[in-house]
Amino acid sequence: MQYCNHCKIYIKNKRERCTLCENILPDSNDYKDSKTFPIISPFYESHLVIKILVFISIAAIVISFAINIIFPATVNWPLLVIFGLLSIWLGLIVILRRGYHMPKKIVWQVFIISLLSIFWDWKIGWKGWSLNYVIPITCVSAMIIMYITAKILRLGSRDYITYALIDGFLGIVPILFIVFNWVNVIYPSIISIATSIISIAAIFIFQGEDIKLELNKRMHI
Amino acid sequence: MKQKKTIKWRRLDNASKIFPATITSIDTKVFRLSCELYDTIDPEILQKSLDLTIESFPLYKSVLRRGIFWYYFESSDIKPEVEIESLPVCAPIYIKEKRNLLFRVIYYNKRINLEVFHALTDGSGSMWFMETLIYHYMTIRYKDKLSDDIPKINYKASISEKMDDSFEKIHNKIENRNKKSKRNKEKAYHIKGNKNDENRTRLIEGSMSVKSVLDLAHKYNTTLTVFLTSLFFYSIYKEMPSNKVIYPVILSVPINLRQYYESATARNFFSTMNISYDFNKNSPELESIIESVNDSFKRGLTKEEISIHLYKLMSLEKNPFTRIIPLGLKDLTLKIANHINDRRITTTISNIGQIKMPTEFQDYIHQFSICVSARRPQITLCSYKDNLVISFTSPFEETDIQRTFFKYLTSNNIEVTITSNF
Repeated sequence: MQYCNHCKIYIKNKRERCTLCENILPDSNDYKDSKTFPIISPFYESHLVIKILVFISIAAIVISFAINIIFPATVNWPLLVIFGLLSIWLGLIVILRRGYHMPKKIVWQVFIISLLSIFWDWKIGWKGWSLNYVIPITCVSAMIIMYITAKILRLGSRDYITYALIDGFLGIVPILFIVFNWVNVIYPSIISIATSIISIAAIFIFQGEDIKLELNKRMHI
Repeated sequence: MKQKKTIKWRRLDNASKIFPATITSIDTKVFRLSCELYDTIDPEILQKSLDLTIESFPLYKSVLRRGIFWYYFESSDIKPEVEIESLPVCAPIYIKEKRNLLFRVIYYNKRINLEVFHALTDGSGSMWFMETLIYHYMTIRYKDKLSDDIPKINYKASISEKMDDSFEKIHNKIENRNKKSKRNKEKAYHIKGNKNDENRTRLIEGSMSVKSVLDLAHKYNTTLTVFLTSLFFYSIYKEMPSNKVIYPVILSVPINLRQYYESATARNFFSTMNISYDFNKNSPELESIIESVNDSFKRGLTKEEISIHLYKLMSLEKNPFTRIIPLGLKDLTLKIANHINDRRITTTISNIGQIKMPTEFQDYIHQFSICVSARRPQITLCSYKDNLVISFTSPFEETDIQRTFFKYLTSNNIEVTITSNF
């Protein structure tokens, strides 16, 4: 063991300087003790891909505004570039967010895609495609994707039923579109409503107990 | 018919609730128990021992999850695996939305380390897990040598007693409900320093003979804990900038409630008391510090004083209004409350006490130690046989307080051996 004359202290594990006073320790040849702690190299969390994407996004916005000022156009298209990039980022953030598990990500995507489609539809002159097609189709595909990922990832039913249920209720929302006559193509909405009702019924019939337990657990006061 | 498995879940106990909300990258709310043997650790035997140990501690199989109003423990079927040490001391364990176990068992050369997220249990609760783990390790690893006298395992309590939420049990039995606690609300001195790289925890362990420190404490007519607490006050004072002396130094000392309320829970069951010393008004001599600390300990450790503080803590949790605040908001409120409370504390000193293992094992176990993630230089200590290990953990590069502390001991002819992870 090494000995620091200044601190009058023995030091385990070979080192150059005293842990306490940082004075250089006399060299001793008695290093039989094994190391107590491993040397842990620093972590470098590499976010290079994300950094490049952020850089490209900012460059694209600046360039589009610059071009628009040099060659003015009737449509304010740089604004659309910003909205486009924002939409992509919104989607990406939810997907990339650590810790969120698949069913939760899927439900988030349904929300984001639905809201963005309404926004875009409205922004480029209301044609109704968001309500006609995008929202009902998203809800149905989310249900299918959720079921498939749950099977592939072998998720326990309690891991996804709450989200399946949320998605099911979202899928019924197009009923409002039909009632208030907001849509001119009703087939996607009908399909969405039907699948949702069937899926909710299935969840309650086969996993009603689990739902009750999940709610008890999550809602305890 | 297929057997249906129901998922069990449990509420967090009173003391646990603060931990998930107040995690920071510096203070991960993780603590580490270490057991150093004389031989190098065999990972396969350690894994076998862990598999046996976990069966006696069902709560350790839980993961922490977020509900709408509260966090809760959910039982899982994750199998804990031993790993070689590859992360900094007290690296984060609970990560939001990641469903992992709330402890890890790691080994390196001669050490077995158990790192635990504080919401799961406290030092005494986890030391119990550690003792069981070491018991199994010893009986497998040294089976041949122990053949004549393998000691019997001491379970100490039933599984349900270990799972007990003791705070809940004593809530209605607390006396002195209406007395106000007389804790002062003044701002305490805060130790400042340069942060370690990556906010890592700097651990400095000093190991020494229990007897020699006890002898020194007896010279001052006091106990080991009071003596070391006073010495900590003294070391902090020595490194205090002169313009900061106007602030009192206030140490928070955890109290193990098991001995006061007859509980054998393996979950959290502790409270704290604050010991204050004002260097602006009092003499900085160690003798007078000891005298004052001695009085504060006597006052703080009466059952009346403990129960007053406990009742105050628990009534907040029982308040119907606090209950219905959504979790996100609750986290924020707890963070702020914790921050305010933190202003009144300089740092913490915690003594886990003496660790007892069957005497048959003493030729194989060198020492036990404990340390905890820290916002400021802080002390945790425990002893085994005649080995007292005092661990300083600190987020700062500076080691002046540690140096003053240990140099005082060595200048009184106590032989100290230092180990550090830096």
